[in-house]
Amino acid sequence: MQPVINLISGIGAFVNRYIATLGAAVKFGGVAAVYGVAGIFNRRIYPRHDLIVQIDYTGARSTPIMILLGFLVGASLVIQTTPSLARYGPGELVAGVVGVSVLRTLGPLLAAIIFAGRVGAGFTAELGTMAVSEEILALDTMGIHPVGYLVAPRFLAACVMLPACTILFDLAALSGAYVVGIYQFNISHESWMDVTKQFVRLSDFTFGLAKSVIFAVIITLTCCYKGFNVKGSGMEVGRATMQAIVISLVLIIFADFVMSMVYNFLSKLGIVG
Amino acid sequence: MKSDISIELPEARKQTQLRTDGAAIIVRGLDKSYDDNHVLNNLSFEFERGKVYVIMGPSGCGKSTLLRHMIAAETPDAGEVMIDGVDIHSPSRRVRDEARRKFGVLFQSSALLNGLTVAENVALPIQRHTDLPQSTIDLMVKLKLELVGMGGALDKYPYEISGGMKKRAGLARAIALDPAIVFYDEPSAGLDPVMIGVIDKLIKDLTTKLGITAVVITHEMPSIFRIADEVLMLFNGKIVFRGTPDELRSSSDPLVRQFLKGDPEGPINAPRQLSELSERLIGSSRKGTQA
Repeated sequence: MQPVINLISGIGAFVNRYIATLGAAVKFGGVAAVYGVAGIFNRRIYPRHDLIVQIDYTGARSTPIMILLGFLVGASLVIQTTPSLARYGPGELVAGVVGVSVLRTLGPLLAAIIFAGRVGAGFTAELGTMAVSEEILALDTMGIHPVGYLVAPRFLAACVMLPACTILFDLAALSGAYVVGIYQFNISHESWMDVTKQFVRLSDFTFGLAKSVIFAVIITLTCCYKGFNVKGSGMEVGRATMQAIVISLVLIIFADFVMSMVYNFLSKLGIVG
Repeated sequence: MKSDISIELPEARKQTQLRTDGAAIIVRGLDKSYDDNHVLNNLSFEFERGKVYVIMGPSGCGKSTLLRHMIAAETPDAGEVMIDGVDIHSPSRRVRDEARRKFGVLFQSSALLNGLTVAENVALPIQRHTDLPQSTIDLMVKLKLELVGMGGALDKYPYEISGGMKKRAGLARAIALDPAIVFYDEPSAGLDPVMIGVIDKLIKDLTTKLGITAVVITHEMPSIFRIADEVLMLFNGKIVFRGTPDELRSSSDPLVRQFLKGDPEGPINAPRQLSELSERLIGSSRKGTQA
């Protein structure tokens, strides 16, 4: 009987711990969101200069990698998809397939994964180092809300800049696909544009953009929360960074699945296009 | 070193921050355990205004935990800490922040924000808590840094200056808002004897010239005798001694005697722990060799 009781109590403790962590993370996110917006109007929460620095770090500096990888992903998609499509019908259909898949899923998802690796990891490492060196505690003892001062500008910048990066990634991927389709598979410009217009709808783009905002929230809060809660030595910073990226990726892909299901359901009901 | 600059008690602090009645710090029934480890055991004491209090004790005695509770970095299992009459552990963040504005902290690692210059670090609490124009803030920052002998390092980043300079910059930040109380966490850790003397003089000067109550966590014996008005010794989460440095010197308490003499033999059972450690190390090394 005792092993069963131990098992049940162990499961209870596990669930309890994870619910507590989830609650703390949600509260952390709520505080970051409120301070992020309030900070636009109240300079005491965080310096506006910090918001500009974060916009530069999360967005402007992510531009080259987004364009490069977007272009390569679009080009690869066409190279790998066109021959298969050509076996069953007109190869021009690739323009529509790539357009829809990039705008609805691949663009937001891959941009978010790149963002998590480049920006999210930076957030965890930076905040983790500050936690270990007592800088976060110092802010708190000065009566400065550390989440407001450190997380809010990062949160706001990421929520604006990941969608911007996604648009860039989409454009680069569609350009890569176009270039390869036109020059490698001799699809005419007119056919490419016609098929694209038939397949792709504005809602594909807006749905992808809405996803990227959710992904930005997931990445920023996961990575900042993990960074904030680093305790001990510098080694823990590395461990927390690794955990933050793994958790972010799992949550992003899970959220993508859930949102696709919801979209599909709403689409069947005729609520969305 | 310009710590002998004459500084007047700021009018703003006289009027708004520093109460003149009651104790600066009141700790009542403070209790904290981590699993089975009872770190703070029903601690109660009061600190008067304008004195230097040193909290000392062997490693692991609970002095850093006590400090973390006094600055609300940790929540106690039971008990309360009143800072200048305000409950630092109040459930209301507004009340906690009110209490926090009454003290500054010099951390062991200085905890300067590495992304900001020394001047920006000192300016940070002033910018956050006052409506002063930037020109006045700049002047205040310069004054605070001059006070700790750091007037020439305004635009340096923390990673560009030495450990002693970091401590002094951290001290300038701790006193930026003219607090009633300053907590010092191991202020002499990692410093050479001359720099320890400089920091000690600063602590003493700030108390005598600005009337700041200083709470210093240290086990640097020369520092204790140089700066302390009163000394508290902790052992196993309890206060085992409280008195002046002279009373400390003449104490016959075996714990105090052993700590002052640095004697490995005595009631502070370091020798047993050490012998166990060496036994384990030598034992495992022997096993490793045999294997």
